[in-house]
Amino acid sequence: MVAKGGAAKRDAAISQLRRGVIEFCVLALLADEERYGFELVQKLAGEDALVTTEGTLYPLLGRLRREGAVETTWRESSAGPPRRYYRLTPAGRKSLAAFVDEWSRFRGSVDAILKIGDPQ
Amino acid sequence: MSTSSLHPVATAYLQQVRREGRDLPGDRLTELMIDLEEHLSAAIPVDASEEDAREVLDRFGDPREIIEAERPVSMVPPERRGPREWAAIFLLLFGFIAAGVGWVVGVVLLWRSRAWTTRDKLIGTLVLPGGLFLTGVFLLLALGRPRKEMCIHYGTGVAHCTHISSGGPSTLDSVALILLALTPIATAVYLARRAR
Repeated sequence: MVAKGGAAKRDAAISQLRRGVIEFCVLALLADEERYGFELVQKLAGEDALVTTEGTLYPLLGRLRREGAVETTWRESSAGPPRRYYRLTPAGRKSLAAFVDEWSRFRGSVDAILKIGDPQ
Repeated sequence: MSTSSLHPVATAYLQQVRREGRDLPGDRLTELMIDLEEHLSAAIPVDASEEDAREVLDRFGDPREIIEAERPVSMVPPERRGPREWAAIFLLLFGFIAAGVGWVVGVVLLWRSRAWTTRDKLIGTLVLPGGLFLTGVFLLLALGRPRKEMCIHYGTGVAHCTHISSGGPSTLDSVALILLALTPIATAVYLARRAR
């Protein structure tokens, strides 16, 4: 039996899950090199499962700036207007490390449960 | 916002984002607009076809969705215009009739409502304080003001003067009166239109 509103509930749950992890994906993309906004968004948008609307990533980048997880510098660009480059702060790096650790445990647990509960 | 490197479709899109985000704190909206403009100028070449530009914007998302993502969690979306908003507008205009208390209540309602931005509230409060009160006062003064004074001088240095009322306000008074009446009315219309 399919629960009433099951698809909507599932969509909402996936959307929340996505929102929860995406900021750490941003931090991870900045772990080794600095990137500018457009480049960051393109990288994330390349992963279909992660991003549905590119524009909503900018409010997230703004929040990470305000929270001090990333810092930015404006640089001139030969291809057009100046670009805002993002790089990880020590606080952002610490936050990413904690997430990577937690995520491994989380993924392991969920995978294990899903295998047990799989009707196939 | 410099729009020189922006495709016209992107410029129109950004204007829509700005409209949607008009209730966001000023610096938040400014920062967001800078980021979005930077992205769109990189994503859409100025000479791109309208179709291509729209395709990029479809992927980029609905302006409303972006503003919702920017809105602080604690910031409840603004209320739509309801009875309290109408009461605020009415009291700001006519509140002076209850010895000025009505206008003060109107100001309180205006500032407590989430249907207006701070700028709207400042306009509602300062243009003009008292609503139509000043118009009424000015009308009474203009009608009551003596226009001419006729004096009869007696030889003893005593003069008898009589004020002759012109029977109505002068042209200058009329213009000032119309302005004083129209300003609060224009503010009320502005508030009614700005309330969401």
